[in-house]
Amino acid sequence: MLSTFLSHQRKSFWRSRNRGSSIAGQIVLGFFMLYFFTLALGAGLGMSHLLAYFFPDQDVIKSFNGIILYYFAFDFIMRMQFQELPTLSIIPYLHLKIQKSKIIKFLNVKALFSAFNLWPFFIFLPFCFIKIAPSLGAVTTIMYIVSIFSIMIFNNYMVLYIKRKSITNTLYTFLGLVVIAAFAALEYYKVISIMAGSDVVFRAIAAQPLFGFAFTIAAIAIFYFNSNFLRKNLYVEELSTKQEKKGSTDYAFLNRFGKVGELAALELKLILRHKRPRSSVILGFFFLFYGFIFYKEKAIDRDAFGQMMFGAIFMTGVSIIIYGQFMFAWQSAHFDGILANKINFKDYIKAKFLLFTIGCTIITLLASFYGFLSPKLLLLHLAAYLYNIGFGTVVVLYLATLNYKRLDITKAASFNYQGTGATQWLLMFPYALTPILIYVPFGMLNKPYWGLVAVSVFGLAMLLLRGFWVNYIAKRLELQRYKIAEGFRE
Amino acid sequence: MILEVKNLQKVYGDKTVVNIEDLQIGAGETVGLVGNNGAGKTTFFRMLLDLIRPTNGEVLSKGENVMHNDNWKNYTASFLDEGFLIDYLTPEEYFIFIGSLNNLSVADVSAYLSQYGEFFNGEILNSGKYIRDFSKGNQNKVGIAAALMQKPEILILDEPFANLDPTTQIRLKKLLKEQTGNMTTFISSHDLNHVTDVCNRIILVEKGQVIKDFKTDENTLKELESYFSA
Repeated sequence: MLSTFLSHQRKSFWRSRNRGSSIAGQIVLGFFMLYFFTLALGAGLGMSHLLAYFFPDQDVIKSFNGIILYYFAFDFIMRMQFQELPTLSIIPYLHLKIQKSKIIKFLNVKALFSAFNLWPFFIFLPFCFIKIAPSLGAVTTIMYIVSIFSIMIFNNYMVLYIKRKSITNTLYTFLGLVVIAAFAALEYYKVISIMAGSDVVFRAIAAQPLFGFAFTIAAIAIFYFNSNFLRKNLYVEELSTKQEKKGSTDYAFLNRFGKVGELAALELKLILRHKRPRSSVILGFFFLFYGFIFYKEKAIDRDAFGQMMFGAIFMTGVSIIIYGQFMFAWQSAHFDGILANKINFKDYIKAKFLLFTIGCTIITLLASFYGFLSPKLLLLHLAAYLYNIGFGTVVVLYLATLNYKRLDITKAASFNYQGTGATQWLLMFPYALTPILIYVPFGMLNKPYWGLVAVSVFGLAMLLLRGFWVNYIAKRLELQRYKIAEGFRE
Repeated sequence: MILEVKNLQKVYGDKTVVNIEDLQIGAGETVGLVGNNGAGKTTFFRMLLDLIRPTNGEVLSKGENVMHNDNWKNYTASFLDEGFLIDYLTPEEYFIFIGSLNNLSVADVSAYLSQYGEFFNGEILNSGKYIRDFSKGNQNKVGIAAALMQKPEILILDEPFANLDPTTQIRLKKLLKEQTGNMTTFISSHDLNHVTDVCNRIILVEKGQVIKDFKTDENTLKELESYFSA
């Protein structure tokens, strides 16, 4: 029975409607996965060097012991956000002559098919064999492995259990990250040390290998709790998230824009009331930290804005890029309604521009904390901001008229590449290259500030031409409407 | 003629789904479109609403081709399927949104909705649910009420009776009959009883072509039944 379920799952994956049309997206996703797994494997193989590099004054095994619990705390929070409940897939089986216990078994097994359950293999296993086996012996190595996988399983089912019991929301994830960051800070200032705690735990396992089974017992316990809960509550409406009373909302600040504001409010509700667009927006906030990768002290000192331009454009324009790549497709479920109703294409496009401008402005304001690194960065951000709202929005909306792929917004965002096609990946090129190309001549002449001025002027000019762009894109949309509507209906 | 269809064809691959040479609908008529699954009813409606590009021919609304400009939207309201509903809104929000497109204030909308207490049977308004959480029948009700709210000259409904409970079916018939004469209504239905009851003209389609087109009288139902049982 279990194998039948799994074969149905496999079929539902391979036969899903958008499969054939988004092969390009799948291939790119495949590369991404490969890339991340290679990174993880690299980290795993080079673990002893990495640990020696980051914690130079202590024994590598001690450091290794120290990071395990940190890893799993982080893993837990990430799972809370991204791991999905395998619930909906069982609906067609509930009324059939299939024992409940079999369905539960299926749910439990299916829950193991998660990328989160692969990382530890890559990250921790190599070190266990390379360092722990030679110095602590075979039995200890086995118990290390048993403990690590027990914690992994524990996390896996614990998250599912929590998710089933209550509604989780992104706020908790954010709070969790803050808590971990706080512990890391306390660690840094040597107030409390989780690392030491983690080390004590694993040192105990090294000394007395049987202690490792404590984790296994915990994992089995949570597995049991989870199955028990499922057995008692195997009703679809109880397994999915609970219903709360939904109220009507009115966004007063958008009312002043008339019909355009009305349409923008509609889209704002779309974002806030669906998981996938909401996750996209939250992802945008995470990208606020992107600057720490790009804004190197050296680059700032040398006024090398060209190097930092990509980071700035991406960070301030992230809402436009991430949300805009599926423009129109977000509304695929009711696109017919939009066409058949008395909605002017120009108003429709203007509403998109309005929303982009608001989003981009908020992110840019938030990103101004980089001013503490150097006030120069604020100038860079201003240029990037003007470029994003002036021209970036146009690029995104133009490409959106070429996107005919339906998107199911009720599904989660992470690793969901439905609706992704070559267009989405091509998006980045004109978007990111244009400002860099504008800047480069000035950069080569060693006039970095003039380069920023040029990018800003370009953005501003496009912003002033917005009326023209609105007309242009509305015309494109009008031309493409049958094709888009047809694609969205499938 | 408020609606004219000329040489309208839609071809998918080598299959002609709709092929209507000439069809004239006068103002105030209530027209029922009847045909089995796959007869091309929905495709035809979509072309009336400019949602699908016809392979050939044209649809004229008050003499203007619907593909060329949006004027027809000023006096046409429609509900074909859930694709017309914005399902993440509460019904109230949806009605207010549709109202705002037709320059109705929030007060106008609530005044309008208050007449529909009976039709909604107390399940739609103030329910604290998004449209997507309603049953199909109740979603239909929202779509139909939103279309009627626009006080259109042309109303297009695709299988409005489907999924509705018997009480609501009767209420909907009453609503539609009240409008006879001042609104041109175009509905499709699989329910021969309802469609002969509501409509004063029946168009029978098969494989995309108009087979029969006649005014309803006391024999219509029998005629249709004998056609479909053959």
